[in-house]
Amino acid sequence: MNLHRLLTSAFFVTWLAASLRLAGPVLLAALGETFAERSGVLNVGIEGTILLGALASFLTDYVTGSVWLSLFAAMFTGIVFNLLLAWMYVTVRASQVVVGLVFNVLAIGVAATVYRRALGESSGPQSVAMFAPLHVPGLSDLPLLGPVLFGQTSLLYLTLVLVGLAHFVLFHTSFGLALRAAGENPSAADAAGISVGRMRYIGVLIGGATAGMAGAYLVLAQIGLFRESIVSGQGFIALGIVIFGRWSPWKAALAALVFGACDALQLSLQLGGGNVPPQLLASLPYVVTILAISGLFGGRAVQPAALMVPYAKE
Amino acid sequence: MKLIERRVSPADSPLAVTTAMVGAAVVAMLITSLLFTLYKANPLQAYFALFHEPFASWRGFGYTLVRTAPLTLIALGTIVSWRSGFGYLGFEGCFVIGAAATSWLALNTAFSSWAFLPLALLLSFAAGAAWAGMVALIRARFGGNEVLISLMMNYVAILIVQYLVSGPMRAPGGVPETALLPRATWLPFILPGTRAHAGILLALLATLLVWVLLRKSRVGYELIVSGLSPSAARFGGINVGARLVFAAFCAGGLGAWAGLVEVLGEQHRLMDGISGGVGFTGIIVALLAKLNPLAVIPAAVLYGGMTVGANAMQRRAGIPSSITFILQSLIVLMVLASDIFRRYRVKLT
Repeated sequence: MNLHRLLTSAFFVTWLAASLRLAGPVLLAALGETFAERSGVLNVGIEGTILLGALASFLTDYVTGSVWLSLFAAMFTGIVFNLLLAWMYVTVRASQVVVGLVFNVLAIGVAATVYRRALGESSGPQSVAMFAPLHVPGLSDLPLLGPVLFGQTSLLYLTLVLVGLAHFVLFHTSFGLALRAAGENPSAADAAGISVGRMRYIGVLIGGATAGMAGAYLVLAQIGLFRESIVSGQGFIALGIVIFGRWSPWKAALAALVFGACDALQLSLQLGGGNVPPQLLASLPYVVTILAISGLFGGRAVQPAALMVPYAKE
Repeated sequence: MKLIERRVSPADSPLAVTTAMVGAAVVAMLITSLLFTLYKANPLQAYFALFHEPFASWRGFGYTLVRTAPLTLIALGTIVSWRSGFGYLGFEGCFVIGAAATSWLALNTAFSSWAFLPLALLLSFAAGAAWAGMVALIRARFGGNEVLISLMMNYVAILIVQYLVSGPMRAPGGVPETALLPRATWLPFILPGTRAHAGILLALLATLLVWVLLRKSRVGYELIVSGLSPSAARFGGINVGARLVFAAFCAGGLGAWAGLVEVLGEQHRLMDGISGGVGFTGIIVALLAKLNPLAVIPAAVLYGGMTVGANAMQRRAGIPSSITFILQSLIVLMVLASDIFRRYRVKLT
């Protein structure tokens, strides 16, 4: 009986810790995307930006071995490529879904081509240095809470700090107000002297920075190597989390945690070797995200009024 | 004196549009040239290799037709759904679902080859229609976002097929794939000495059907009005929700036919990774054709040919075939971006 309780509590601790760890990348991507969407841009290209961020961090790590430098390289890459996206979305005023979708194909091509050029055809997957879990003396040894809350990587703590920062900037600064105005009522914002175009550029670039970091998270804190299927829909899941989180950073954090919990659960069930086929378990996070944004639960989401509507100054 | 001035509305004469498109393609090819030099290849030779094999060799042209058929079907599905205001992106999913349904029928029944094909067309269309119809139902009934839901369902479909080929439909052997389909179920080859099969005829037929549906039929008119302005359509007495579901059925069915063509014409078995991104390339073909069903054929031949040429280029020059993804997406991005230049005119006097 005692052994049984010990086992279940060990399972529980592992599951919770993994939930937090797996929630990290989608939460990072969702935080920046919240800024983009609040300014009026839906960035379907987020999947491609995460992939390119992952590649940039992997290559930097491969050459320098510095995880922090790799994180910055990913962030920089995300900003550069999202500058292209922002130009298409805001200046050219092309359809946002179309541009984002085509950009994702471009990103797959760029990632595959550059990766093969850098590492050559013959070499197998190369692993790189990763963020190590922190060990806070005393706190990390607490039962249950210790491993879950105080045994994570610094990248996860950084992500959690960014949730608070994002909430503060979005709802308690004049910049946040201007950004939201650009996404709710661009012509009124324009009349009030806010440059709608500039706000949307900034929104998309913030999205690029965190999407790049999300890619780095996958490489530097989850698997430690690069493959072309590394993102596998997590960018789209981040878009779902923004909707399910009702365009609010801390609600997005809760939504990301739900996703992380599903993913961790299916992974541990796969390892547990039950009767359910692993491929069907692996579809659980996608199915849960689909249900979450289907409108079946919690009523319809009210999105920023000018989301996906390009703005042309009269 | 300003040399460049803004137009009141973008230039839209055929000459302006054609110039913009050709210019866009040239810019995309120039950017891709930079990547060729990364591989120390002469860009001119690389482009020659890219286009010679698929269009100037008989065998290669056969392969071009093999790649054109599924691209055409997916592009047509994109056109029907997007023109109806249903932003469906789930063609990877429809493709593998259609391929799986077809393979199941071929492996588990023993119809004569004449009875098999109509049944396979019917079954795979129904499977794809049901798959895409679920998304339309969620959108029409609960207001869920079809763009995201259809993207996510691609992953679910691919995992389902992974499960099928590694579990219930797996043939004995080391690789997760089904047994070879009975030869009687294969699509006939149509050009002697090549792999070209009757799938291209199905694609041509579907093009004609979609053109008639959108241009000549009442339902098509209602679909397009629903796409242009749902509120006006509703005011005019059109059941927009029902039209949405109908458009999704057509889109899913056409996407599933692309999967049917791939298994019955080329692969002759079901395996993991059978789609290889064709669900997205097909959407890009539809965009290049500006959502016009008749323009899909040349666009699909061009992009199908590029895929064939890229494989030849990889074999001969060691340039990875992934470079076609870059070229194919850059061309469309540049065409989209070229709109901005049509908003200006150059003043020379």
